[in-house]
Amino acid sequence: MLEEWLRANMAVWDERTEVHAASTFYDVEGFKSGAETLTSIELEELGPDVGEGTRLLHLQCHFGLDTLSWARRGATVTGIDFSEEAVGLARRLADEVGLASRARFLRSNIYDLPDVLEGEFDVVFTSWGVLTWLGDLRRWAQVAAHYVRPGGTFYIAEFHPLAFILDDAARSDDLRLGYPYFQGPEPLRFDEPGSYADPDAATRNTVTYEWTHPIGEVVTRLIEAGLEIEHLHEFPFTHGLAFAYLEKGTDGWQRIPGREEDYPLSFSLRARRPAG
Amino acid sequence: MNEGTTLLHLQCHFGLDTLSWARRGAEVVGVDFSGTAIALARSLADEVGLADRATFIESDVYDAARHLGGRRFDIVFVSWGAIEWLPDLGAWARLCAAHLEPGGRFYMAELHPLAYCLDETTGPAELRLRYRYLPAPEHPEVDPIEGSYADPSADTAGHVSYSWSHSFAEVVGALLGAGLRLEFLHEAPFSVSPVFEFMEKDAQRWWWLPDGKGGRRTDLPFSYSLMAVMPDGDGVPASSPASDGATETGTGAADARAARGPRTDDEE
Repeated sequence: MLEEWLRANMAVWDERTEVHAASTFYDVEGFKSGAETLTSIELEELGPDVGEGTRLLHLQCHFGLDTLSWARRGATVTGIDFSEEAVGLARRLADEVGLASRARFLRSNIYDLPDVLEGEFDVVFTSWGVLTWLGDLRRWAQVAAHYVRPGGTFYIAEFHPLAFILDDAARSDDLRLGYPYFQGPEPLRFDEPGSYADPDAATRNTVTYEWTHPIGEVVTRLIEAGLEIEHLHEFPFTHGLAFAYLEKGTDGWQRIPGREEDYPLSFSLRARRPAG
Repeated sequence: MNEGTTLLHLQCHFGLDTLSWARRGAEVVGVDFSGTAIALARSLADEVGLADRATFIESDVYDAARHLGGRRFDIVFVSWGAIEWLPDLGAWARLCAAHLEPGGRFYMAELHPLAYCLDETTGPAELRLRYRYLPAPEHPEVDPIEGSYADPSADTAGHVSYSWSHSFAEVVGALLGAGLRLEFLHEAPFSVSPVFEFMEKDAQRWWWLPDGKGGRRTDLPFSYSLMAVMPDGDGVPASSPASDGATETGTGAADARAARGPRTDDEE
């Protein structure tokens, strides 16, 4: 028997997969033609570690565009997502772009991953809009650390919690707070049609359950799981968030107009599993 | 904290916390840039009978190494409203690391960077971001001094202060860059001092935002604490090229990345 939050979130992501595959946001045709989907943040900070034969595990991979982008750079990739639709599309895309020999996709909830996946990886990667779907970062960190080989790397690039605490009515000149930074174990329930990638899409499944996670919680759970923090970076820009206080620049990043350098909207964290 | 633990307290003001650690058995050294504060700390140490285990040094943090020589401590301690007075956390973190024994611990408890951002002129129901969160070494906040947090009515006319915002990324990056290994970063929904005049003090000492219904708000951060350890000789420092000091975490590095955009195909 699935818990309601998980059932609802999976239904939303199953339905979103088709919407996203057709969206300009994800631009699947561009990807097929060779376009890069990874952002400059993860390319600069993790790119040098990924090359021919790097074993990379991508947690919460959606339908695999970023996973396959790492495969294009030589990695042997395993993508995990809890949506059957997303995993199915990821496999078809891998076939279509000729990367099926070095890309496999598994359907699994993060927490249950050790039941279906064995092995260890040089890099465990996860990015952009993943933590909001997780209520239990302790278990998440344990699972992530479990798959990093001794001496290997865990890497996350993610929306900053500060971006999630501003009010729905916040504007760039009125950055009023509206949501908790410390949320606690209970998820926030949202009921919104469409998707961040296509706000006008007609969707049947509209209810999601989400969590905001403080930076300190992310950092400390990863350390408790046995990883050593190598860097924590904060960036005053982000992408793909449908908040009225943000404005997209010509470089593709969203910033707060007039406060372009002042507040963190994204963060990245790199950690290492000690050797031996 | 055990009998004989050696502890260095940076930016110790007039030494109350330093002497509290001494009372718990520590051999303490307090450093502060105010000669007046140091003189008072010394006379307090005499008065409470702790002068034999408490030394106070008048020095700017950045000059402290000249006075400390090669001395290393079991603990370096920093707390509450300290780092906002420092423009450069890289040099600060290197000083902390240089005076820690292998296996020694750096500990700090500080006001949360988000608490520094909040607009102090609003009511409790309309909190807003006003001041910056991310570091700006070249642009300190310059404030006229109107009294003190400890005595708002004190006559301080004619003085101004310069202070600097420090993000988590900057603090963590500076400490990792100095060779320390991070042990935890905890955040808490209460403060050691009233960030807003409408905060309320509990029976212990902590200040909370009232929720307007007779209770306390626990949804916003006002404090954090951080522990880091100096790796033993046989350990490998957590430092890496990507964590090489505070400059990496500044907005300059972020700009360099931003110039390339999030996605090469991100046109809508």
